[in-house]
Order: sequence, then structure tokens, then C-alpha cells
Amino acid sequence: MKQRLPFTFVFAAFALFLLLGPLKPYLVETASLTPFYADEFTFGKLLGTHGGLLFQVAAGLQSCFARPWLGASLFVVVLAALAYVQRWAFRVGDRWFGLCWVSSFALLASYTQLGYLIYPLKQPAVAFAPALGALVAFALIGLWFRLKHWWCRVMFLLTVPLAGFWLFSFWGAFIAPFVGFVEVGRLHFNQTESPSSGQKHIGRQPFFANRASHLLWGLALFIVGLLLPSLLLFVLHRPLDVEVGHIPFDSLASSMRGPAAIALAVPLFYGIYHLQGKRQWMTAVAAVVFAASGIVVYTHSFLDSNFLNTLQMKHSAEAGDWNQVLKLARENEPEPTRAQVCLTRLALFKTGRMGDELFAYPDGSAAYNAPQQNQWLRLMIGPLLYYHYGKTGFAYRWAMEDLVEYGERPAYLRYLHGVARLNGEEALARRYERTLARTLFYKDVCAHEEAEATAIRPLMNFTDQLDGDNGMVEFYLLNSFALSEGGSRPMVELSLMNGLITKNLSGFWPRFLALLPTWQGHIPTHYQEAALMVAQLQGAPVGDLPIDPTIRQRFQQLVEASARMGDNAANAAALRPQFGKTYWYYYFFVDGLKTN
Amino acid sequence: MKHDSYTLSILVLSLAIVLTGCRPTLPTTYEEATQEPCVSPDNFGATLPPNIAPLNFRILQGEASEAVTHLHSQKGGEMIVGGWDVCFDEKDWHRLLSQTRGDSLYCDIYLKADGTWRHLPTQRFFIAEDDIDPYITYRLIRPSYVTYEELTLHQRSLESFDEHVIYENMRFSDSEQGQCINCHMPRNWNRDGQSQFHVRQKLGGTVLIHGTEASKVDLKTDSTLSAGVYPAWHPTLNLVAYSVNETGQVFHTLDPQKVEVIDYASDLILYDPEQNSVQSIERTASEFESFPAWSPDGRTLFYIAAHYTRRADDLDADLDSHYDQLHYNIYARDFDTETRRFGPRRLVFDAEALGKSASVPRVSPDGSHLLFTLADYGQFHIWHRSADLWVLPLGEKRPEKNGFTADSKTDDRSGKSHLPPTVNKITTAGNRNHAQTNAHILPETNSPAAESYHAWSSSGRWILFSSRRDDGNYTRLYISYFDRDGRAHRPFRLPQRTADDDDLLLRSYNAAEFMVQPVRVTHRQLSTIIKKEARKARYKGSALLYPEPDSTSAPLPASPAERRGEAVAY
Repeated sequence: MKQRLPFTFVFAAFALFLLLGPLKPYLVETASLTPFYADEFTFGKLLGTHGGLLFQVAAGLQSCFARPWLGASLFVVVLAALAYVQRWAFRVGDRWFGLCWVSSFALLASYTQLGYLIYPLKQPAVAFAPALGALVAFALIGLWFRLKHWWCRVMFLLTVPLAGFWLFSFWGAFIAPFVGFVEVGRLHFNQTESPSSGQKHIGRQPFFANRASHLLWGLALFIVGLLLPSLLLFVLHRPLDVEVGHIPFDSLASSMRGPAAIALAVPLFYGIYHLQGKRQWMTAVAAVVFAASGIVVYTHSFLDSNFLNTLQMKHSAEAGDWNQVLKLARENEPEPTRAQVCLTRLALFKTGRMGDELFAYPDGSAAYNAPQQNQWLRLMIGPLLYYHYGKTGFAYRWAMEDLVEYGERPAYLRYLHGVARLNGEEALARRYERTLARTLFYKDVCAHEEAEATAIRPLMNFTDQLDGDNGMVEFYLLNSFALSEGGSRPMVELSLMNGLITKNLSGFWPRFLALLPTWQGHIPTHYQEAALMVAQLQGAPVGDLPIDPTIRQRFQQLVEASARMGDNAANAAALRPQFGKTYWYYYFFVDGLKTN
Repeated sequence: MKHDSYTLSILVLSLAIVLTGCRPTLPTTYEEATQEPCVSPDNFGATLPPNIAPLNFRILQGEASEAVTHLHSQKGGEMIVGGWDVCFDEKDWHRLLSQTRGDSLYCDIYLKADGTWRHLPTQRFFIAEDDIDPYITYRLIRPSYVTYEELTLHQRSLESFDEHVIYENMRFSDSEQGQCINCHMPRNWNRDGQSQFHVRQKLGGTVLIHGTEASKVDLKTDSTLSAGVYPAWHPTLNLVAYSVNETGQVFHTLDPQKVEVIDYASDLILYDPEQNSVQSIERTASEFESFPAWSPDGRTLFYIAAHYTRRADDLDADLDSHYDQLHYNIYARDFDTETRRFGPRRLVFDAEALGKSASVPRVSPDGSHLLFTLADYGQFHIWHRSADLWVLPLGEKRPEKNGFTADSKTDDRSGKSHLPPTVNKITTAGNRNHAQTNAHILPETNSPAAESYHAWSSSGRWILFSSRRDDGNYTRLYISYFDRDGRAHRPFRLPQRTADDDDLLLRSYNAAEFMVQPVRVTHRQLSTIIKKEARKARYKGSALLYPEPDSTSAPLPASPAERRGEAVAY
């Protein structure tokens, strides 16, 4: 016991640090992508499919990630229980106990390494389902070893794998091939004990008499332990299937590392089983493996700064905390992805600071640290952006498309509900409310909706048309506003700003002049900058424009500095410190951003 | 021994007390309330078939602390159910309905609030004399756009809640290619065990079921637009008429109707399973034909068609911006069952003249009525809130003479001539007012939301139709009694075991049809057939008596993949 506790504490501390530290927003996002509905209706449906019980329980536990401390604690408890159950199942001595944590580390990594893949993975509980499944598998193995009578074993074999498969998918049936190999191996290596006398030895002493038999036996178990579950995963375990585009197989394989590692643990324990003893080096080896596992988990966890920052921004946006979104945008150090840029711009619009600060915030088009670049913005924040910009048709469409593809995730239901309310479809909104009411943590997810709707409705003052966005959310939004005419005041301002962003200045003056009376003395900085620049480009007089003298002066400085310097690249580098946060700089020097 | 008897007596007594205690009783004293019951689904006032499954419901008046429901008829039978979820015992329900055949069934709800029982106004069902076909088939689908997952073709007993999956698409779908399934259509209400459905994309083809056998064919030929889409089994010959459609979906930016499903081209074909051959019926680029339906004698093929005048080179863009100007009329062609040739086209219902668009024509089994959906534009009316069920009386029976005369060969697109006696008086260009007044809306069946795909029962006394009246988005099935005077009665929603079955199901019921017996072929058999290569049908020219010049344009250029999604969201 004394030797076990340190491992337990270290594992728990490490896992909690990882999950509640950098990965906290990832946990929250995972919960919103976990379809768990606590009612007889769903439970009955899930029990009608193989593995239904496992996925239902696992999804229930995983939805607790919505309260990160609760979900993380539950996850750590399950992973720790797994280590103890392995120890119990294989009667691993305390000196080797450190090895029992390898599977737990592997399962932890199988979740923490997913990153962007959390969106297209269809398995309803990517974190908990393999962990609980492995727990069941090892518990059944332990139970098998402890059955005393041959008839108990026969009954066990006749009933448990079948029922196990139904309730826990292949994890519940794993015992069948495992026992098959144990018995075949026993016969092969002339283990002549009768079942009754054999029981005395099972689990208490090595099965085999010599080193060669250990090697062969380890190999056999390795094959059955690794290949069989892998095969079953592919053939039977459809929810693991990745359906978005052609994500490379490596990504799918990486999500299987955890289960595969558990399977590896089976031969590992058999391989080391006979090495019982009191030698200190055993403990040292176990400790080293334990520590190495922790390091591997940390280094393989997806701690991509942009990804985690995007999630934090998204969650702040969904909570209506737009200032926090901007704070997160400012604090992010690497070049942002378009998703971060879009969230920043939305927050600037929501806080009324778009005209003054938009070009002062980090811009960029850093690649998403994942394959299939063009889908992540849509999958992460597509419905959110469309919803807040009043493009209700596409907000509903993408939330529904994703619901169809990936299941009834609360993340989609909130936007389906929001759009239904905006559309005045009260009965439809109530249907989604009823569904959300059955979740553990998303009952009040639409609490901010009325305030949101007040801000969104003025953006819906446009003529309906049939259209398509081909999943290019940012591109569509930019152009739909940049090319629109009229509408409410916020729509005209979005038209003005998106015209500036897309460098389409053809509609600048009508929009600028329409908005001029509404600024009540203070024309936002970027619009002043743009007015000066556009007037200059078009040779129009600017003397009558209410432009701040400081801005006029800076513009003159820019013109003079540009004239003094060399090529565009040199100018861009030299002028960035002084003018990098102006629209002028954006217009003349920022090119090639991939909008989406 | 005495001790044992004593124990047994106590046990029996306890059991009796428990059982008696569980059985709800009607309050002896109560106040009369004026407030109407609020239940889900609200089927009160509907006409029910005597063999329908229990119409369970949930009482939504949550302010009360107790509820008791009393179902009874004047002929003596009764049922008493306690609680908010009113679930009737199936056996008792059927006994009560059987006793009440042709009479009224009354429903009294008592609610207890603040210690006082209140009796809500008595509600009534009407129990028809006519039984309903015991089975229906339908597809369950999310009201989706382009993506699709977990599509299931079902058969469901209307006399109970038994539901079985005929085929589900996930067995063969993978990350590379999905499998869409649609249009499970029985022939003659599945009397002979014949039906068909389509499989698209992966392992695609049309599956023809006959009893416990099945086969798969590929109806796409080089001379036709697509594989078969909307089917119509010939009632007496082994033939199936199909539409062939180039269908796409485009999305509303604001309108809560959300999606417009547009045919960018469509024609009609006739498939002969024995010869595995396809013949074209309608093959014109300027006319979009769809939704074929045979008359019960198999001598007339009804269908819808819209005339399309191309305004721009880009057909897709043109139709996307003028989608609301596509108006479909109902036409018909006579069919000679001996020569298997079609006569000229004639106008049956001029929807365009009303500024409307008709879809899904279906003739009643006695040939007396043509049921269709009418909306403001287009043909995929489940996404159109303006869509309502209409009926056009077809008058007396047509002459027995098979075929048509030589002078009927001129196909006048305006519909001025060549109408059979029954429809001639209904629809001619010069007599439109009379024509349109004969057709009439079925007010009892319709709602402000979309009513669409509909089917006649084998007796012609029941109409099964889709409606989005519950929330505007999720389609549910409703059944209406169609009496001998051509009047539809207040419909009831497809009975479910509990209210949750409908309330929590985020899927739509789609393309439902009546069946007199279940489909016998197993899921495994269907999977085996679907895995096999489809037999490719060959093109055999026109099925018209006087073939028209082939004006079908060259195959349409590829459109954005998004808009070319299969039109599965019916």
C-alpha cells in the first residue's frame, strides 16, 4: 500500500494539472460536443444497440467536463481505478505497480492529444468510453481468474461475452478471445493440471516452466491483445469513424493509441508476471516507465496555443463576455488563425470598437495545427458567427448539418434553438428546449439569448435569397456585408468595415456619409483614416471632412515616408512600427490573408 | 397448515389492496371547468379507424396535482387512466373501439388542483366503420440539407406500436462515401409483397422486392437524366414509371422555410423489370416533369410538369433566382395497356392559372378523386409553408375502351384538347374557372405549416399525409378519414407509445405509404443484394405512341457539389 499511494498521488496530480490547467477550455468544449440526455427515451434507444450502456454512462460522465473540476476528477478516478483493477486482475505485485499506470496514461493521452479532431470524431464519449471499456475488460479478466469451479467458468464464458458485447461493445466481449488464448496456450505448453487443480495455480504462479514458453506466450498474447481489439475497433466500432473529408489515417490511428496501449498491457503483464521478487530494481524500472509515460503524455497532448486560445475566445463569446474575447485576442502570442481573427472582429463589433480598433488587433492566417485546413473555422465557430451576424439561414443550416453528421450535440442545439427564436418559430424552439432540458449542464445555455437577439435582430434587415457558402464562412460573411446595400445602422457599419477589410472601396462614401450623423462628433479612427485615404486615391477634396488633425498629420507622414523609401516590402517592414495599426498599413501592405 | 393459510390470505389481501390502490377511480364530486384540455398530441375531434393503436397523449396542464382520464362510449365500454401520461392498455383500447365502431367515443379529463377536482369539457372521437390498412412504411430522416446519416426505412403496424427497420444505411456507409436510401414504395399497398426503394451513392441502385426475394437494378442509362427517382408502380402490369431528376438544394439566407429543393431538369421514364429496359415518356428540356402516379385502372398516368423558359446561360443561377416562378401543373397521358404506349399529354389541373404550383398527384383507389398538394411555387412542398392538400374530383368512371384515337395525337401544351370526358369539363384553357372551382382544398386536413406527401389507403377511406404543423420543421404523419362524399375529416397524428416518442425525436417522417401486409424480406437479404452489382437497365427508346422530337439538352454541367446533394429531405 505504501508503494502504491505515491503512484496514485503523482498520477492524479499530473492528470489534474494537465486537464485543469492548459486543457481546461478543451474539456469545456468536449462537454458541449458530448450528446448526453438523461431520460428513458434516449436510454432505451441506446440500450437497443451494442455498447449502448457503455456509451451512455461514458457520455454522462464526459458531459461533466462542462464543470471542468468535476469532469476532470471523475476522469482521474476512472483512470486510477483502471490501474488498480489491472493490478487486481493480474495480481501484479507492488514492486511492479508503476507499470499498471501505463494504460491509464495511454488513455489520458488518447483524449488529450486529439485537439481539432474532437469535432469530427463521432464516438459519443472519446475520453470516458475507452477508459470505462478497459475497466470492464480488465475486471472481467480478473473475475475469470478468480472463478474456482470449471462450471462457473463455462457459465461465465457462455453468458458474459455475449451480454458484455451488448452492454460494453467489444470491451465486454474481450474476455472471450483472451480466455481462448489462455486455454489454448495452456494446452500447448502442456499445462497438465486439471481444471480443479489448475485453479490453484492460476494467478498465483507462472503458467509456464521455461523462458522460451514465456516468450512465445507473450508473443501470442501480444497478437491477440493488440490486433484483435484494433480489428474490432475498425469493423464494429463505427463511432470512431472520421467523416469529414479525407482526414489522413494517421489521425484516426492516433486516436486508437490509447486502446491499443491497453491491449499491449495484457501481454506486458504476462511477460513480467513470473518476475516476482523483492529486488529493488523492479520498483525502479516501474517508476521509470511510469515517469516516462507521464512525459510522453505531456509531450503528445495537444497544447496548441491557437487552438486553446480559440476555444477560450469561443466560450467567452458564448457567455456574452466580449471584452474577455478581446483580452484573449491581445494576449495570444503566435500569429492568429482566421478563426481567432473572426472572433476578434465579432467582439469588436459587439463592443462598438470595430471602427476604432479593428486594424490594431493581431491579424493573420496561421495554419490550423491539423489536417484539412478549410473546415475547422466552420466546425468550431461557423454557426456562432452566422448567428451573431444575423445570417440565420446559414447558422441553422450548419448547426443542422453538423447535428446530422456528428449527433445531437448541445453545441449545435443551442444555435438551432437561437435561430428558431429569432425566426419566431416558438414551437420549434420549445422542441429544442425540451431536448436541452434533458442535459445535465446545458439547461440554461440559452439564458443570454434574449439579449443576444436584441443585438442580432437589426442585422436581419435584408432581403432573403437563395445562396450557398460552400462552407467558406468568413469569405461569405465578408462579401455578403461588403456587397450589401442599405439596411439598419449596424448593417451599414458592417458594410463599411467589410468593404475596408476586403479593400473594396466602391461603396465607401455612401456608407460613410450615411453613418456620419450617427457618430455624433467622434468618427471612429479607422473610418477617418479610410476617408482620408480614399479621398486621396480618388483625388477628392478632404478639407471639409471632420477629420482629426492628428490623423491628417500621420497620414501626411505616411505619404512622405513612403515616398522616401524603396520597394513595398521594405516599406512594409519600416513602416510597421509606426503605422502597423492603421487602416492605411492594412490597405497597402497586408496581402495574401487566407480568409477561411 | 393453518399458519400457511393465514399467510396466504394476507398475501392475497395485500395484493388485492395494492392492485385496487393502483387502479385510478373517477372522482365522485367535481366542478365543471370551462377550460379546454391541453394535451399533446391533441387528436380530439378526429375520426379514428376502429383498428388503430391507442392514441396515447400527455396532459400539459401542469398546475394540477392529479389527473384522471375517462374514455367511454355510449355502448357501455370504458377505460380509466390516471396520471399525466395517458397510455391506454392496447387490448382494452381495441375492445372499446371495436364496440364503438360507427359511433362516438368520449374522453373526460378530471384534474385535481387545490384539493378540488375539476372536470374539463368532454372531448369526442368519431370511430369510423372502415378499418385502416394495418401497416405503413416510411423513412426516418433528420430534416437535413446536404449531409445524411442513419437513414432508416421502417414498417410500422398501425394496430400496435410495433416498428421494424426494413433497411438502414449505416452498414455500408463509410468515411469515404455515404449511402442514401429513399422512396420505399409498395406496389398496390404491398398486396403481392412487391415494393422498391433506392440506394444512392455507395452500392447504389434500385432495389426491387418481391415477396422474400429482391434484386438490384441500375436505371441510369446514357439517354436518361438520372436513375429513377419518384416511382409509380403500374397497378396491373409489371411496370414502374419513374421521374428522372437533376435535383439540387439551395439555402435561404433568411426565410424560415430554410431550403429550396429545385429540379434543374426532370423527365419521366417507364421501367419494365422483366426486360430490364427503360423507355422515356417525357423527354423535353423546356418541361420539368415529375411525380408520376397511375390511375387505378392503369390506363392513365398523371404527373406534374412545369414549363421552363431559360432566361440566362447559367441555368443553375437562373433557376436559383427565379425559383418562385416555377409553377407545376398536373397533366396526364393515356396508356394503352396492350401496346404499352402513351398518348398525348393533356392538362388536368392548371395550377399556374391560380398562381400556384401542384405536386404529388395521387388518384384514389376508386378513381374518383385526385389528391395533390398545392403551394405557391416549386414541387418539393414539404419546405413550403403554403403547401396544402387539395382534391380534384375526377367525376364518373372513364369509358372502358382501352387506348386512344388517332386524332388525339396532337399534344397541345395549353391543354385545349384531347381531354377525356371526365377531365375535359374540369380543365381546359377556355374553361379554367370551372376547372379550378371543381378542385377544392381539404380544410380539415390543412394547417398554416406544410402539408405534403400523401397516400391513399387501399380502401380509399383514409389519407396518410406528412405535416409540419407541430413546429414547422419536423415532419410528422397524420391520418385523415376521407368519407364517401369526398370530405376529409379532422386528422389524428400517428399514434405513439408515449408523447416523448414524437416530442423528443429530432427526425422527420418521410414518404409514408400504406401497406396491407409487412415487407417479408429481411435486412440481411437486402444487405446481400445491395452488396451485389446492379443489373444495368438498357434504354429502349420512347414509350410514346407518337414520339416527340428529343429536345432534352446535353447533360447539365457539373454544379457545385453542395447544390447537387441528393434531395433527401422530403
